[in-house]
Amino acid sequence: MLNMTLYQREMKGSLKMLLIFSAIISMYVTIIIRMYDPEMMATLDNFYEVMPELMASVGMSAGATSLIGFMISYLYGFILLVFPMVFCILRGNGLIAKYTDKGSMALLLAAPTKRRTIALTQMSVLLSGILLIIIFATGLEVAIAETSFPGELVLSELIKLNAALLCLHLFIGSICFLASCIFSDSKYSIAFGAGAPALMYILQMLANAGEKAAVIKHFTFFTLFDANGITAGKSSAIMGTLALLIGAVILYTTGIIVFCRKDLHI
Amino acid sequence: MRVINAQNLTRDYGSGKGIFDVSIQVEKGEVFGFLGPNGAGKTTTIRHLMGFIKPKSGSAQIDGLDCWKQRDEIQRRLGYIPGEISFFDDMTGNEFLKFISAYRNIDKENRIQEMLERFELNPKGKIKKMSKGMKQKLGIVSAFMHAPDILILDEPTSGLDPLMQNRFIELIAEEKKKGKTILLSSHIFEEVERTCDRIGIIRNGKLVTVDSVETLRKRHMRTYTVHLDSPDLAEDFARDFGGVRDGNQVKVAAKQSLETIFMNYYGGDKNA
Repeated sequence: MLNMTLYQREMKGSLKMLLIFSAIISMYVTIIIRMYDPEMMATLDNFYEVMPELMASVGMSAGATSLIGFMISYLYGFILLVFPMVFCILRGNGLIAKYTDKGSMALLLAAPTKRRTIALTQMSVLLSGILLIIIFATGLEVAIAETSFPGELVLSELIKLNAALLCLHLFIGSICFLASCIFSDSKYSIAFGAGAPALMYILQMLANAGEKAAVIKHFTFFTLFDANGITAGKSSAIMGTLALLIGAVILYTTGIIVFCRKDLHI
Repeated sequence: MRVINAQNLTRDYGSGKGIFDVSIQVEKGEVFGFLGPNGAGKTTTIRHLMGFIKPKSGSAQIDGLDCWKQRDEIQRRLGYIPGEISFFDDMTGNEFLKFISAYRNIDKENRIQEMLERFELNPKGKIKKMSKGMKQKLGIVSAFMHAPDILILDEPTSGLDPLMQNRFIELIAEEKKKGKTILLSSHIFEEVERTCDRIGIIRNGKLVTVDSVETLRKRHMRTYTVHLDSPDLAEDFARDFGGVRDGNQVKVAAKQSLETIFMNYYGGDKNA
């Protein structure tokens, strides 16, 4: 079902980006987890009192008591959402639309390889990249938390949280992949693949910022990722995660079908 | 046996662009020249044969297999040179050839080395840095490396110098002898004339004529017999004008220029 030669080539192509995003994530995760300190918490709470809208818009809320609550406030509102999202956008476009646009897709199709195999392979490359980022972040979080605050982090909660985060990014990835399959022009593939998730994220920021704008949360899929709900085991949060996963499956499948059926002017 | 069979292919891109009711049949072991100016619809027809685009009306088969539905099976025995080759720029020539042979899953015993030598190509450098001719050679190598039985070549000699164009024509002649079926598109009449059995001329998306090279040659070539004073003079004359000497007589052929032939078909004046 997959072409391993193509898979290896594309994973190599993901490598540089994976390293860069891992480095960025490492820096933030390390700094932020180390900041967990009751005194520091007070300082951050002061920030929150001074500019609650701004802090809330990037998902940071006051009064997080446990280490995981602290991490949710300061890592899962911006850093672990935006950086893997940028990876999805760049890679999503690069895997299909870029080749169609440039014409090198002709080389991949001028071989006894089904279009479905090509699309499935490219999709697997995107999924592998996302999975690697989340696994890396999880391992790093555990390592930093255990060295700095032994015993403070409940592992099962972190795993549940990151599984939900994975579903969110698989969904974001599926939007980018679908855009890449639909559009034969990199320009439009990026415009849609980056535009849709970015717009959703901005809506999420607005929804977080104020009570009046809270209604906006119904218009963004980021609402389906309820970090606090997941760690608390809330069923609504689990349903949200499940919805993201089902959505991802639907969008990836649609992308593959579109790619198999479309005319390629290459 | 009909290997390539396109029937009444139509694809209207609007404002007169596209192809209209194009039918092409290429028999096994035949070299078919597909001649036409830029934008006439050669590449669009080839895209149908490659299964890149679905026929809006009409149909296309290769080896009896449907070009759209069974495109991956067809590719097993097919070699293709795109009209405008776009490689993966990050690779070197060697990496590319290695990638394609692994991607196609072809035997260790392939024609890569032979083709590289034939076209004097050193594939060590980055593809991005290669000249147009080198890229074209690389495209040729990757189309022939798995020794396919059917070849679809879209302006295969573009960017090649005359020496390499000749090598390519020799290669086509050899492949023809091996019984390969070849569809070769070009806008260079000489190239097609030297290699092909039959020629189809396409203009504004419509196939204007399909004829054997012999017929076209007769129609577009005039022969003159020149009498000279001595066999020596005749010998010199034959050498200088590319004629055939017979005693004091030399037969020379005057080919019409490419433009004239095109004008015959494209200007609509079929009596010329």
